Amino acid sequence: MTSYVLQRFAGMLVVMFLVLTTVFIVVRLAPGDPAALMLGPEATPQDVADLRARLGLDRSIPVQYAQFLVDVVRGDLGQSIFFNQPVGSLLLQRAEPTIFLSLFSILIAVSIALPIGIASAYTRGTLFDQGTISTAMLAASVPSFWLGLIFQQQLGTRLGWFPVSGYGGPDTSFIERMRYLILPSIVLGIVNSALIIRFTRASMLDILSDDFIRTARSKGMSEWQVVIKHGLKNALIPIVTVIGLTFALLISGAVVTERVFNLPGIGSLVVGAVLRRDYPTIQGALIVVAGLYVLINFLIDMLYLVIDPRVKY
Amino acid sequence: MTSTFRFRKFSLLTGTLMGATMLTSPVFAEGVIDVAIIGEPPTLDPMMSTADVVSIVTQHFFETLYTFDENWAVVPLLAQDMPEISEDGLTYRIPLREGITFHDGSTMDSADVVASLQRWLKVSTRGKGVAEQVAGIETDGANTVVITLTESYSPLLSLLAFSNAAAMIVPEEVLGEELSAIVGTGPYKLEEHLPDQYIQVTRFDDYVSREEPSSGGSGKREQILDEIRFVPVPDAATRVEGVLSGQFQFADGLPTEAYDRIESTDGVEPMLLAPFGWPIFAFNLKEGLMADQNVRSAVQAALAPEDMLYAAFGDEKFFVTDAALFPESFQWHNEEGAELYNQADAAKSQELLSKAGYDGSPLRILTSHQYEFHYKMAEVAKVYLEAGGFTVELDVVDWATLTQQRDNPAAWDIYITHSPFLPEPALTSMYSPTSRLGWANEEKDAVLKEFTSETDPEKRLELFAELQKLVYEQAPFYKVGGFNTLLAKSTALDGVTETPWPYFWNASLSE
Repeated sequence: MTSYVLQRFAGMLVVMFLVLTTVFIVVRLAPGDPAALMLGPEATPQDVADLRARLGLDRSIPVQYAQFLVDVVRGDLGQSIFFNQPVGSLLLQRAEPTIFLSLFSILIAVSIALPIGIASAYTRGTLFDQGTISTAMLAASVPSFWLGLIFQQQLGTRLGWFPVSGYGGPDTSFIERMRYLILPSIVLGIVNSALIIRFTRASMLDILSDDFIRTARSKGMSEWQVVIKHGLKNALIPIVTVIGLTFALLISGAVVTERVFNLPGIGSLVVGAVLRRDYPTIQGALIVVAGLYVLINFLIDMLYLVIDPRVKY
Repeated sequence: MTSTFRFRKFSLLTGTLMGATMLTSPVFAEGVIDVAIIGEPPTLDPMMSTADVVSIVTQHFFETLYTFDENWAVVPLLAQDMPEISEDGLTYRIPLREGITFHDGSTMDSADVVASLQRWLKVSTRGKGVAEQVAGIETDGANTVVITLTESYSPLLSLLAFSNAAAMIVPEEVLGEELSAIVGTGPYKLEEHLPDQYIQVTRFDDYVSREEPSSGGSGKREQILDEIRFVPVPDAATRVEGVLSGQFQFADGLPTEAYDRIESTDGVEPMLLAPFGWPIFAFNLKEGLMADQNVRSAVQAALAPEDMLYAAFGDEKFFVTDAALFPESFQWHNEEGAELYNQADAAKSQELLSKAGYDGSPLRILTSHQYEFHYKMAEVAKVYLEAGGFTVELDVVDWATLTQQRDNPAAWDIYITHSPFLPEPALTSMYSPTSRLGWANEEKDAVLKEFTSETDPEKRLELFAELQKLVYEQAPFYKVGGFNTLLAKSTALDGVTETPWPYFWNASLSE
């Protein structure tokens, strides 16, 4: 098992190196110029060239790449061109809303999806099952920005229950800041529950038709014990995988929802940085996000060992 | 407040489910407003940028020697009076106000002003534009600054007054390639800046206001509000919901479709800034198709500005089909050349194209979705230009790409932009022979030179009329029309002046 863990860890490092290189190349290949954006519409071409030189953007790409790798190895993600702050501290500022948004969303998604998925599998073929599948498909098809706008208008603007934008001001306490996350969490929770419902249902259907379930029933166990203790426990691996991947996607990909609700999270930082061509921020944010994604995948693999000791490598 | 009550009630119901104590409603300190702006300013150094959002925020903490009153006339701000200008127009002797304190507690003197202006000449787009004409900037005692020019340059005071690419005055010690601190003399000082979250400015207690009655940006600046928080909200729909829900007391740059909702919602009112600005089709005179005068005239003949404006803004409330480069409310307004506007004459366009020997090469129009009205105008223009004999290629890119591409003359024939109506024509770079349009020829350069060196205001108006006539005759760009912009504010917020660069000194909150 130790060799497996080491092997997976080495794999992670290779993936991260590829991510670093790809991110650097893709960002530099994209047209657009941070200097022109910073200087505004009236700037002359000479002004733009001067600022590019000051920012070091006129150096050759290999030189910039080498510098980038050296900095990353040193743990330095560079300095944001626009905010004049280290990218690391920008990411730390943005981590709180993104992490809590992802946590709340996944909690909501799992709270919705697990009971419904299990009940749907248990009542296979009934009207409830068919209704559940159709609703889950509908939820998966609804664009999160549309759902966000509807929630914003109805629960935020019309009823005044929740703030519709942002993450509070300078005097906002932690508890109050969490209030800003309720609406977007519900939106993401609903949208992401659909996939988990379908995986839970499918996985439970596989298990519930197995011989050991019949044996359990014939031994006189209660239905609750049969379904949850025997069924769910054995169906967990694909479910955990999809929950873990959904969580990883939420951290990296709640971009649209963050933008609709104007949450200053990592997703909106990346989008803003891309629109402004803030190269160090794009690079730094993508490295951290990719690192988290790879790490969560690694942890899911490790979790398999805990859930099912039969998994041998 | 009803919404607060509803929120408390709802929180009680849902508190257990959410597993957190979320019973507290937001507490706003008295005299604090949240202002939704269109995005994060690219910098807080207004010398560096001509972006309007930079001006809007930074004018609260940085001030200039001069400013504009409500009629866009230049009036003193940090200067004590208007300058003494020598008869040859080459020497400006500027007296400074005494007892002005910077946010760091130091006192402003002529050395700070000289150092600030010298940096402005070096780093600011507008400053660089005038740098060649400046022979020197010197102190003459602690409270006087003398600017000497190599040749007369009449827009100088407008440049010194403008909050955009501003010649703002800061302590000499903070100056460098970058500002080492955000320290100005303004009525509010920067308290905290969390990128993409808020820019918090608070009342500067040692501010010494001018005593003249307020007029535009000039005169008395009262700090009635304790605090202003500028909140970057890039999504326009979110700005609308934020101001409608009462979360923001002011919102900038709203989509015109939101007008009716804002008007029919209690506690909020629309502010229609009319006139605001003009959409521009900028032509590439340096190379390619548009370097040919006949081709430019063909474009001018083919276009139908009214249809383009309808497509872009949807309702006549939000635009005006008008040839004049400045609207009637500006002293610069005149009708020279207007007969060449709004032609929509496909036959004339085809005739001009055949005169130019047009071979059907695509006319490349560079635009983006960043400003949706740019794209909509491009779509309509394409139809009219094709009817006028052109082959048209729309090159739709993102804004960052567009701002880069337009600096490469080989990459475009027309790009679409817009500008607010600026207080003085010379603040617009498009007339300059060195701009990216490359509008340069003897006749026009002579008129422009005379316009920028003439000091008699009446003569300057005549010269600008001549320049406008040349714009229509030589077609270096196409003014599509005029458009208004929609803002919204809480009905409790009073004292906000309608301007493209809204400010909140003199503003107050009523119950």
